[in-house]
Amino acid sequence: MTRKTGGCQCGRVRYEITGSFENPHICHCRMCQKAFGNYFAALVGAKKAEFKWTKGEPGVFRSSAVVERRFCRDCGTPLSFAYGHSDRIAVSIGSLDDPYSVTPAHQFGTESKLPAFALLHVLPGSRTEDDVPPEHLAKLKSLQHPDRE
Amino acid sequence: MTHSGGCQCGKVRYRIEGGFGNASICHCRMCQKAFGSWGAPLVGVIAANLAWTRGQPAEFRSSVTVARGFCAACGTPLYMRDDGDPNYDLAIGTLDDPEAVGALTQQVGIESKLSWFDAMPGLPALRTTDYCSPADMERYTSLQHPDHDTEHWP
Repeated sequence: MTRKTGGCQCGRVRYEITGSFENPHICHCRMCQKAFGNYFAALVGAKKAEFKWTKGEPGVFRSSAVVERRFCRDCGTPLSFAYGHSDRIAVSIGSLDDPYSVTPAHQFGTESKLPAFALLHVLPGSRTEDDVPPEHLAKLKSLQHPDRE
Repeated sequence: MTHSGGCQCGKVRYRIEGGFGNASICHCRMCQKAFGSWGAPLVGVIAANLAWTRGQPAEFRSSVTVARGFCAACGTPLYMRDDGDPNYDLAIGTLDDPEAVGALTQQVGIESKLSWFDAMPGLPALRTTDYCSPADMERYTSLQHPDHDTEHWP
């Protein structure tokens, strides 16, 4: 199985998955919206036995009695979701070094789906270099951890 | 017009007096990583109109001239802000009423857009009660701050 890696924006917390991805999905529930500051969460599962934090220790917030959400205490990136009693963990797709490798197959929690969601993909789109002048782009030098170990 | 919002755990809360600026979504790889997601939905808010009513956000400088605010106790991404910008770009999902921002205007940073983004509305859809039993729902008692201001929390 190909090894998959990921981590937070600042790079203090890194993880690896040595097994297969399971159940790639998006979740519209209000808990995921608030945890991710977003319209929905994008998550992909793995067996806890095939998942490991390889660098740093994430913070944990128990968003409900049986759910643990982990994040980086230094930069905030939402990293994982897991039921305490389950042998599975889900990682946030955006925290993967290669988020393009996962395609969500279902949407969950649609009772909380926000009306704006249906129109996101048809909004007029632009590339960063079309919106930001080159001299300003040069000043925006990234301090984000690279998408690799 | 007053709007409120905050992080998932409720340690950081804010209130906004006045209206919203431009609301848009950003697909750039920096927003993907900061939000652990496909990207970020952001709305402009004049910084002078926003008050932190409980707690203070922590900040990470994701680039030399950009700060990103988040809750250090639960991780919720709260905003990004360019140095010298009179506005916050506030994370729309942190608003107690995310629909209050009105119509979104555009998607930016589409050079990093994930291939599956456009197909999401057509994915098979399930309500929480379709895969969680009533007994499950009872066990999943939320510890999330409610979508309104509270006198005391938790």
